[in-house]
Amino acid sequence: MSHNTNETHASDQRTNSELDLPLLSLSKTIESVLNTAVRLDEMEGQSFLSLEDKVIAVTLSPIKQPLYFLFTKSMIAVQSSLVGEADASIQTHLLDFVRLPLNHALPNTTLSGDTQLAQYFIDALCSLDIDWEEQLSHYTGDLIAFKVGHGIRSLFNTQQGVKDTVSQTLKEFLQFEIEAVPTQSQVKRFCQGVDDITTQTNVLEARINTLLTTS
Amino acid sequence: MSQTKPTIDFGFTEVPLQEKVKKVKGVFDSVAGNYDIMNDVMSLGVHRLWKRHTIELSGIRPGKVVLDLAGGTGDLTKEFAKRVGKEGKVVLADINESMVRVGRDRLINAGIAGNVEYTITNAEALAFPDNTFDLATIAFGLRNVTNKDKALEELYRVLKPGGQLMILEFSKVTQPLFAKFYDFYSFNILPKMGKLIANDEASYQYLAESIRMHPDQETLKQMMLTAGFDKAEYLNMNEGIVALHRGWKY
Ligand SMILES: C[S@@+](CC[C@H](N)C(=O)[O-])C[C@H]1O[C@@H](n2cnc3c(N)ncnc32)[C@H](O)[C@@H]1O
Repeated sequence: MSHNTNETHASDQRTNSELDLPLLSLSKTIESVLNTAVRLDEMEGQSFLSLEDKVIAVTLSPIKQPLYFLFTKSMIAVQSSLVGEADASIQTHLLDFVRLPLNHALPNTTLSGDTQLAQYFIDALCSLDIDWEEQLSHYTGDLIAFKVGHGIRSLFNTQQGVKDTVSQTLKEFLQFEIEAVPTQSQVKRFCQGVDDITTQTNVLEARINTLLTTS
Repeated sequence: MSQTKPTIDFGFTEVPLQEKVKKVKGVFDSVAGNYDIMNDVMSLGVHRLWKRHTIELSGIRPGKVVLDLAGGTGDLTKEFAKRVGKEGKVVLADINESMVRVGRDRLINAGIAGNVEYTITNAEALAFPDNTFDLATIAFGLRNVTNKDKALEELYRVLKPGGQLMILEFSKVTQPLFAKFYDFYSFNILPKMGKLIANDEASYQYLAESIRMHPDQETLKQMMLTAGFDKAEYLNMNEGIVALHRGWKY
């Protein structure tokens, strides 16, 4: 029997009160975009078949923590922690990842582990028609909206469409929101803000649903 | 010598020990059909987020064997089943047949089959051999269990070495002002909403009361260590309305 005490528990390092909400939100966004694209795909995601039951770690710098892509018959799951090692790893830049469907290539990328598997994943992603820029704009747009404090109203505005190209938004987000955030406590307050807004919008959604189902 | 029967909390009421199991079963029998709506009402919809965080932090991967104890209508089972793939397995275990039946129908309708097993079992005496599971979860279930220490020992027993337990449960709100509002919501608004939606004020009243009687974050962490876990920690969500406790067996 394998004794797996030396497996890595990626989230072990977190303290009792920390929850990396922006990262959780990013993984959720990528997951739903990917799965929607697979559902709409003419090939029904056939190109992902050779990845079944495998895990690929993708580091999208400057975000330090990797995202793990799990492939099963039911879905492609994207999560921020993994017990044990991934079968393959891809290290690239978030902006290059976003432009993959346009460029059909990932420049300056390091593959490790089962590199053939990693290449299958990159090819499969290319085969899908995903406008990551458009899709991720919701994510980055939301984060920026929270940060500048426009509150719920600007959240709804960004949902209706962001004018800037996402590359620009992303670049600003990465420069000013991730790299330039100086203190731990500011990050904490920011996460709390995201948490609060998420709660409020969910409250709103639940109330509306309740009204709809009871009326 | 006078013999007093051992009693245990049922919400804020003290009832004879063996009666709690029956009473809890009654609550879930009466809410099974409306359970999913009830969850949305109780948490104002945020339970989806709490469950998503739990799944993410579990580090689950294809091939793993998962126990979703007190799994009820199968929210977590459904997501784990999608992630463990054909080589893995998820066991949904619950003491209440009605909840499991609703859960099984729901999962089959969602196309989840082949890697899920359904079992009726009491958390205090799990019907599984030692060292069976890579991951065990108990979401919003532990507070209903009569002998929590026994349940924790059982969970430890059935985990493989290296395995992890995740307990998602309502906990103690850490921010005093928010705690006041939350109390008002739980005891005044929630039971009324329960009456409106499920015509079942009493069950919702019990749920609110049972939340307050549940051990706070630190106490539960200690209980996990006492039950044998080699490491335990917790994470507050939404100011401690809910806490995610995690324990490892090395
Ligand atoms: C609030 S529900 C939670 C269901 C599900 N885990 C979720 O999060 O949606 C609590 C569940 O715990 C189950 N339960 C209560 N006492 C139990 C016990 N001693 N052993 C196993 N399950 C129990 C109930 O039957 C019920 O389905």
